[in-house]
Amino acid sequence: MASTTPILQAKGLTRSFGAVRALDAVDFDVYPGEVVALIGDNGAGKSTLVKALSGNLDLDAGEIYYAGEKVELNTPSAASKLGIETVHQDLALAPHLNPTQNMFLGRELTTSGVLGKIGFLDNKTMRARSQAAFDELGATVRSLSGPVGAMSGGQRQAIAIARAVAWAKGVIFLDEPTAALGVVQTKNVLEIIRRVRDKGVGVVFISHNMPNVIEVADRVQVMRLGRSTATFDSSKTNMEELVAAMTGALDGAGA
Amino acid sequence: MKSNRHLVFLTTIGAVAALSLSACAAPSGDGSVGEPDEFNLTFIQGLAGEEFYITMQCGVEAEANKLGVNVNTQGAAKWDSTLQKPLVDSVVASKPDAILIAPNDVTAMRAPLQAAADAGIKVILVDTTVEDPSFATAEISSDNTGGGLAGFDAIKELNPDGGKVLIIGTDPGVSTTDARIAGFEEAVKADDSFEYLGVQWSRNDPAEAAKLVNAALAKDPDIVGIFAININAAEGSATGVRQAGKEGSVNVVSFDAGAAQVQALRDGIIQALVAQQPALIGSEGVAAAVSALKGESVEKKTQTGFQVLTLDNIDTTGQDYIYKSSC
Amino acid sequence: MTQSNVTTSVNTETSNQRNALTRLASIQSLQIALVLLVIFLVFSLLAPTIFPQWSNLRQIVQNVAILAVLGIGMTFVIITAGIDLSVGSVLVFSGVVSAKAMQALGSQGWGTALVGVIVAIGVGLLWGLLNGFLVAKAKVPALIVTLGTLGAALGLAQVITNGVDIRAVPKELSDTVGYGNVWGTTIPLITLIALILVVIFAVVLHKTKFGLHTYAIGSSEEAARRVGVKVDRHLIAVYALSGGLAGFGGILSLSQFGTTAIAGQSQTNLNVIAAVVIGGTSIFGGVGTIFGTMLGLFIPAVLQNGFVIVGLQPFWQQVAVGTVLVAAVFVDQRRRNAATRGASAKAKNSLTALWSKKQ
Repeated sequence: MASTTPILQAKGLTRSFGAVRALDAVDFDVYPGEVVALIGDNGAGKSTLVKALSGNLDLDAGEIYYAGEKVELNTPSAASKLGIETVHQDLALAPHLNPTQNMFLGRELTTSGVLGKIGFLDNKTMRARSQAAFDELGATVRSLSGPVGAMSGGQRQAIAIARAVAWAKGVIFLDEPTAALGVVQTKNVLEIIRRVRDKGVGVVFISHNMPNVIEVADRVQVMRLGRSTATFDSSKTNMEELVAAMTGALDGAGA
Repeated sequence: MKSNRHLVFLTTIGAVAALSLSACAAPSGDGSVGEPDEFNLTFIQGLAGEEFYITMQCGVEAEANKLGVNVNTQGAAKWDSTLQKPLVDSVVASKPDAILIAPNDVTAMRAPLQAAADAGIKVILVDTTVEDPSFATAEISSDNTGGGLAGFDAIKELNPDGGKVLIIGTDPGVSTTDARIAGFEEAVKADDSFEYLGVQWSRNDPAEAAKLVNAALAKDPDIVGIFAININAAEGSATGVRQAGKEGSVNVVSFDAGAAQVQALRDGIIQALVAQQPALIGSEGVAAAVSALKGESVEKKTQTGFQVLTLDNIDTTGQDYIYKSSC
Repeated sequence: MTQSNVTTSVNTETSNQRNALTRLASIQSLQIALVLLVIFLVFSLLAPTIFPQWSNLRQIVQNVAILAVLGIGMTFVIITAGIDLSVGSVLVFSGVVSAKAMQALGSQGWGTALVGVIVAIGVGLLWGLLNGFLVAKAKVPALIVTLGTLGAALGLAQVITNGVDIRAVPKELSDTVGYGNVWGTTIPLITLIALILVVIFAVVLHKTKFGLHTYAIGSSEEAARRVGVKVDRHLIAVYALSGGLAGFGGILSLSQFGTTAIAGQSQTNLNVIAAVVIGGTSIFGGVGTIFGTMLGLFIPAVLQNGFVIVGLQPFWQQVAVGTVLVAAVFVDQRRRNAATRGASAKAKNSLTALWSKKQ
């Protein structure tokens, strides 16, 4: 860990849905070049926390700091502008578009001059840049011109992560990135996560897969019933301890 | 490659389908003008599948058989000049010797038919006509104005004391129905005992006519007479009267005598039919075309008559005037 | 750091795979072009002195011109997984308002004609904006919205005219646009106008951000929203485009028919939709080309023309067009199923796979 200031820090986040306390004074932080796994049973508040930190949720109380400065994350584009990108479980890819088009969707490069002003696309540059982005992450994308809908789950996940990484300067959130993947594809995605970390970007991922968590995360944050209950150093913990923390057997225990 | 096989498959299907369909085709001209007795005519109906035009087709085919000429019938599924124009253009391209046509619109069809005449095709206008039909070899239609007048007379006979009357029309701008309306209106306006409620347009759609009649009867329950301007308007008006439960109190007089209208006449929902003579129009059309092609002189305008059908004569002298659903 | 077995770098696609996948995209157009070619050849064989002659082909391209203009807008709309049933009625309404405007100016002269053009397009745009607003903002399904505007536009046209067609159109329009040829040739001017629009919007669809966003929204509206594409604004623009083109169709129709023909265009919306679908655009969105739509337009037109020339009964024509339409959607379905399942290129296009258990 290179820096002592978290790239993203949240203090006392609180949000209720009717009578249910989805987030209860949750503290959270992630440092540049760090992989944090966010684990917890169903309904613990993991997705809610990610939504709050990626601009998809209004908060009842709490403060968020980005690179040390207080910020308001009201919309996903506000989060994007700061350098926070999210890959949701459904990947938000347009299945008929190819990897390059998906990578640049909403942020297309146009040609120079008058034609560019009316919106002519600079496909050549976009193709080159997306190729470079996939290369950098070691992502296996068999064809840049086929529709992503025809590609395997692992490839699609890689494309979605590559898109997030390409635009994220600070933090990326991954929601269950390996949930639907087989063994080999999972290995590839975990390797991609490592490479993202090595670029100095902070990675936060939600997962139910304990072995993956222990393998790739630097730190593990446990949530239970809307509260952040424990933090573990992944190199010093094991599956039993994590599961126990998730289910409440170790309430109160710290890292 | 599987994909190439697929393409070959498609090609074969397409070729086979088209060739087998062509086997059903009626013999048609290959564009050359044959001997005087080998003329090729195309009859373009105003609306395909309507009994009036089917009866006309029967007359056309009978006369064509008699004179030994070939005839081919075409028609669009809706009374719509945007559908009829491409049809006419295609027919003109196939270069028949003569075209018999019931144009869907007095303005829209003028230019395409002028083009036909310019290409040397004899154009016979049957039933409806166009603006400035000087290019046409002949025009043959019912005396529609007289028919409208006869319609009013029938209503008057059924309602000697007068009352409210309504016309269910089809679309404005169609020469034949415009003439019928004009004939009726002239007569009703001259007669003070009748209150004329105007024309409702049913767009040549029976369902629309039924709706209009229902609405009209709801507004004026004391309507005594409805003049339905053609076969579709009549069908719909009869339905509308029945739906409103007004059989017996509303007298319906309709133009045209299709099977459904004759049945409605027998059932007492329609009181009188003003039958045209579509078969005669058709045969006159063919005769005029052949005469023109032979270089003989042709009567420019011919008007055919009509017959009022009621329960009194429907089984006797009226039988011949009932329209056919097939030849 | 664990030993990584990850294969590195994007493989420069082997030529086989690139060919297979890009061919998949173009194979739809190829198949439709082939069907058109087969139909053309068959009729040429059946009536060699009539069918393939320029005098015949000329009137075919003249008569599809207006449908082509409408087809452009409909392609955009259907690619977004929407639909526009109102195009025929908007065409009629725009023609009516335009004719009224020109009538007020005397119905003659190029200046009047120009006003007529602007009014027609403007009125069409307004209906399109209404459609787009209801679809995008009020979230009413496009089928319902455009069904409503179909009735409203036609009804208003009848109210404005009392059901009586306006038959005064500037001679300049009917002589040049309606029936005139491109100077020095026998190519109908109306066809050239349509062709220019087709080319312009094909470029927009395939080469610009606007076109790409159209595909993206049709492919996954949610994904597009998430990445910041202004979906609502875009949908409104697409429907406005369809309406504006229908409005332009209205002035073209006035030129060609010399009358507002309020009773006309009864099947126009369905004919245009059929053309778009036959041409390979998926009703479910995300896929389609303007070129395909043009092919799809010609197939029913050539079928009808050919049937008339060989003397086939009118009702067979409708059967044939209906069959081609269903076949086109069927082929599209199989292609989509194969693509989303990631099946191998071989199994995708085989009809025999229909009967085999392996789907």
